[in-house]
Amino acid sequence: MNIRFSPLLATGTRSMVPTLVLFSIYLLFVGHDIPGGGFAGGLIASLSLLLVYLSFGARGLRRALPVEPDTIMGVGLLLAVTAGIIGAVSEGTFLTYTFLEWSTPIIGDVKVSTILLFDLGVYILVIGLVATATLRLGAEAS
Amino acid sequence: MPLTASIAAYFVVATAIFAIGSRTPRITAAIAASPFVAQLVLVVALWGGADAEQLEWIPSLGVTIGLRVDTFTLLLTAMVAGIGLLIVIYSWSYFPAPSTRARFYALMAVFTGGMAGIVASDELLGLFVFWEITTVASYLLIGFDDEKATARASALQAVLVTTAGGLAMLAGLILLADAAGTTTLSEIVATPPTGTSVTVALALIFLGAFTKSAQFPFHFWLPGAMAAPTPASAYLHSATMVKAGIVLLLVLAPGFADTDIWLTVVTATGLATMAVGAFAALRQRDLKLLLAYGTVSQLGFMVALIGLGLTSAALAVLLAHSLFKAALFLITGVVDKATGTRDIRRLDGLGKALPVSAAIGAVAALSMAGVPPMLGFVTKEAAFDILIEQQRWASLAVIAAASVLTVTYAAQWWFGAFAADRSNRDIDDRVGPLDTAKPYPAMEMGPAILAALTILLGLFPEGLGAVIGEAADQSVKLVLWPGFKPALALSAVVLAAGAAIFVATRGERAHERVPSRSSLRLPSADGWYAAAVRGLNVAADRTTGVVQNGSLPIYLAVIVTSVLALPLAVWLFDWDADPNLVWWYRGAELALAGVAIAGAIAATRVRRRMAAALLLGVVGIAVSGIFVVYSAPDLALTQLLIETLTVALFALVLVKLPRRFGVEPDSLARSFRIAVAVFAGAFVTIAALITTTVTPDTTLTDEYVANAPDAGGTNVVNIILTNFRALDTLGEITVLAAAGIGITALVTTIRSRKDREAA
Repeated sequence: MNIRFSPLLATGTRSMVPTLVLFSIYLLFVGHDIPGGGFAGGLIASLSLLLVYLSFGARGLRRALPVEPDTIMGVGLLLAVTAGIIGAVSEGTFLTYTFLEWSTPIIGDVKVSTILLFDLGVYILVIGLVATATLRLGAEAS
Repeated sequence: MPLTASIAAYFVVATAIFAIGSRTPRITAAIAASPFVAQLVLVVALWGGADAEQLEWIPSLGVTIGLRVDTFTLLLTAMVAGIGLLIVIYSWSYFPAPSTRARFYALMAVFTGGMAGIVASDELLGLFVFWEITTVASYLLIGFDDEKATARASALQAVLVTTAGGLAMLAGLILLADAAGTTTLSEIVATPPTGTSVTVALALIFLGAFTKSAQFPFHFWLPGAMAAPTPASAYLHSATMVKAGIVLLLVLAPGFADTDIWLTVVTATGLATMAVGAFAALRQRDLKLLLAYGTVSQLGFMVALIGLGLTSAALAVLLAHSLFKAALFLITGVVDKATGTRDIRRLDGLGKALPVSAAIGAVAALSMAGVPPMLGFVTKEAAFDILIEQQRWASLAVIAAASVLTVTYAAQWWFGAFAADRSNRDIDDRVGPLDTAKPYPAMEMGPAILAALTILLGLFPEGLGAVIGEAADQSVKLVLWPGFKPALALSAVVLAAGAAIFVATRGERAHERVPSRSSLRLPSADGWYAAAVRGLNVAADRTTGVVQNGSLPIYLAVIVTSVLALPLAVWLFDWDADPNLVWWYRGAELALAGVAIAGAIAATRVRRRMAAALLLGVVGIAVSGIFVVYSAPDLALTQLLIETLTVALFALVLVKLPRRFGVEPDSLARSFRIAVAVFAGAFVTIAALITTTVTPDTTLTDEYVANAPDAGGTNVVNIILTNFRALDTLGEITVLAAAGIGITALVTTIRSRKDREAA
């Protein structure tokens, strides 16, 4: 698809994307207590990628992504599986959630659930999938 | 758990070699050799003891990796690790390219880990896992030259045959464990179960053992497996993997050797294999193929002995065979390396150029033929002796006849490789004595050690006899000089007859005088295999043609109707729903439902694709509104986002398609589609209405709600997704990743096809 450059859309995208990404990360973190979570957060972030694509085309989207979209999917799956393996090692069963605690000099004790890691995996994988679909179906299928 | 650790070390080393790669060849080789050395040291350290090692693997299913540490295990472990170490040393010269060598070392380590597990396993399921590790590793080793189509085909054939047998064996092992009430081999053998299920179990286990050990009629994969590099053939297809079936039979024999099925099936299979293999070996002109058929024959010999319950004699033959056959293969590798051919007709007078190899080959070939003072003579003599003692005349006759042929093909191998050729004058491209004979000390070291062992153990066999007797729990008399007994006379006759046949058939076109299978009009097992594989492909093609006919409407109709058919059938037979249906709870739903229905109907009426996609989006958003009405914000949020994304992705694809839908379907197809759609819609509507009248069991819900804070949150919906049902979520995101890969594959395939067409 040939994307006609629209200054209006581009300017809007520039200002919206950071907010959307920030909001998606917010959703990722609050998912445990209010609506949100890795999947919804990932979808919001993906929509911002879609905006980038519509405004700046495939090249713009590729520039915005740090690595290949396939790699992003792989990283997401790897994180989710890692969360599962941590549970398997520390609790004896795959995907059992556990809390990782460690002390840091300034902040004090940090306590992170492996669930957050799992959710982060979902978040990243969804972004990777939408980026893959957008680039492949949008730019390359023509 | 020293033995368990030593087996695990092979897999660790394999991973390490893959990680290090070929940058540091010497370090890689040292790492590759380390687990073999470690196991040899361990064998010495543990020798004489009797122990067991247990490693809980899947405790909830009672699956354990159990190893027995006794003389039997240690003896075979020494064989596996010892010959393996020699192969590792040999491979240093055989594979000049460091990257190829590193890959070979890694695969060798994986394979040996599996093999060392098989010889030590005392738990059925652990045994099976190790068994299949060797299958997979051997697939990769046979297909090592993966750029050759023949190597890949041979590897596939070997893996198909042995995996089919392995699956049958798994069923057999489970049946056996069920009948015995335990999965521990030593317990099963100590108090063997009986009955029909045990007979079936044994038959299935035989399939596994026979396919693995290349028994007739499954022997055909072994000659094909000669596509493997020679060190792999020397290790897998003479000394180790093909011995796995023998090892399994040896382990089971004390418990089941007196059953009818054992005595008949195992003995008959072994004898048939021994004869077929020896006969086929005579016709081979390729040194390696000759040895392959020789291996088939010798494996048959061992199986026949086990069938008759003579486990200690079989174990003795197994050890002798491993020593001489590995040496023969390795020397064949030297010949191949020196001349570039393994064809008997082309090799001429190599003995002068490679005197050390010729000498080592002579020792090994004499051992194969059963000439004193080689170990091969001692073990064969012991087998003859006990067969005569037990008056197994029919078996003895077959074994003696096959042994005659063994003498002949052993002579054919040595003279073919090393002797000056006085025949076959019509072959022009003969490889004469090499002008620039390069010595191959590193490659000759391994076979030299094996040959030395063959002579030493042949000269002083009593100690080995005692060890084998202890290992097999059945005494065996290994002596170099048996005295003037019938067995000795038989050995002499066999040697004389074999030599006579060799002398008589040597010369012009001798091999063509050996009747071939086609001239005897015998069915070929290879042909059966090819026909089965072809048939499977044809059946798959036809099924695919019917099921995947390429019409999207038909796919949809099939999916929808099959999803509905089953619950509908249940409903028709079991209708006790509350007739007091509640059509709506709140007014807002009605309005939203109206929007959804209007969107759906409009989507079927419009002719432009983009409009249809947008209208479907309207339906989805209306549904997410209904979720809001019912206080399900998580669902509503997700649904809303997904609808937005779907419409956007639709748009990306739709711009590439014609703006409007194609031709209108004719009225018959149209009414069919309407019928399916109405049917599905009505069904889902009624199902939804009925579901809401049922008072659900809230045990699970309450449990989730109660435990959510413990899991670190208050949003139960998300806690279920990430904690309680995390495995489901993992499965779903894996599907997403697969879909992403699918999109990539689809698009790149279409693009490359277009590129081809354009070119």
